[in-house]
Amino acid sequence: MRLNVFVYGVLVLAIFMGTIFTARAAGYWSTSGRITSSGEAVTLTGADVDEIKGWMTLGDVAAAYGVPEQEILAAFKLPLETPPAKQLKELESDSFSATSLREWLKERLTR
Amino acid sequence: MEAITRSKVSKTRLLPQVRKLAPPLGQQAFRHTIQAGFALFILFVTVQHVLAGENAATTVPSPEAYCPLGGLETLYRYVTSGGKFVPHAHLSNLVLLAAVFLTAILARSAFCGWVCPLGFLQDMAGGFSGFIQKRIPLVEQAVKGLKSRWAPLAVIDRPLRLLKYGVLAWAVGGAALYTNMVFRDYDPWAALINITEISIRPGLFVLGILILASFFVQRPWCRYACPLGAVSGLMGWLSPVRVKREASLCKSCAVCSKACPMGLPVHKANTVTSPDCTGCLECVAACPRKGALELKVEMPVAGIRKHQ
Repeated sequence: MRLNVFVYGVLVLAIFMGTIFTARAAGYWSTSGRITSSGEAVTLTGADVDEIKGWMTLGDVAAAYGVPEQEILAAFKLPLETPPAKQLKELESDSFSATSLREWLKERLTR
Repeated sequence: MEAITRSKVSKTRLLPQVRKLAPPLGQQAFRHTIQAGFALFILFVTVQHVLAGENAATTVPSPEAYCPLGGLETLYRYVTSGGKFVPHAHLSNLVLLAAVFLTAILARSAFCGWVCPLGFLQDMAGGFSGFIQKRIPLVEQAVKGLKSRWAPLAVIDRPLRLLKYGVLAWAVGGAALYTNMVFRDYDPWAALINITEISIRPGLFVLGILILASFFVQRPWCRYACPLGAVSGLMGWLSPVRVKREASLCKSCAVCSKACPMGLPVHKANTVTSPDCTGCLECVAACPRKGALELKVEMPVAGIRKHQ
């Protein structure tokens, strides 16, 4: 069966956008790690280090996991006067990242 | 006699109405309009995200949240960890991946040809190259000279196309192994949408190379390196939609093959089943013989053995 090019284009759009709209209507959609798919703000519970994201602050992490900020800063050789409101991604360097902090915390919490 | 005159009059009167029924856009203009729409949406999201900044009171999504490749990179982690994501990936990435897969299964790798903004960027770079060459003979000569000098390299075109499956394994396997987007630093799309972050990363060089290469080869990223195109193309094999050549009408002029941005030998195939076909239908639009090359719906998987 021959398929008209314009019909094909509309079909492609309908499948692609239809999938997205269906997922959104089903509540299966979130474009940010800061809010859940139900629209609630994401906060650290301290239960799992995988919850740590680059947009979270040093103070958030220290409070949630009960680890002093100074200990974190010292472990990664970061300036001790770093304000707690600094986001983790703002502190990224060769020796520090959200990933390396997660690994360090995982080890530190099992000690 | 009167009947003949009436018939002539009615035909003359009908002509303008028939003309009105003709599509206002050409096939390819229609496709480019859709591509431009998606590209403008991503541009809007990017500008909005940059203007709002990281510490905005309201959550402004990053353009990375609209990349289906992010879904592919986080899929393993999402399934094995019970709903966790690798950094920079969200639910939206997974939904977009599902949309790409569903599109591929039903309508071939049409995401690449009709939606992908990086594909559109390469189409535009290639179009600009053609535009410049038509107007500046010196540039045309230089491009032709370079192309003829590089002609012997055509033998590596086919094996080089396999590179994208290696990139796919690296991006997906690396993300599964390290729970991190190991490909992100080398991804030209990530480099483009994060261009305002003043950081030199390999992806910027890849982006520069692919834009430059687009002046000589159409869709270089899609042909050789795109991991999303690789998986979408493979899924497209299941699609019931494919370009078919009617051998009795075809004069093998190869205009279709010259028009194909992916460089597929369309005029030699009875059915285009290559996973590299992006469903752009440039070949169908270029074919000078009506009915010789058409888009058809047939039983899925049929004709795969006749591949190229």
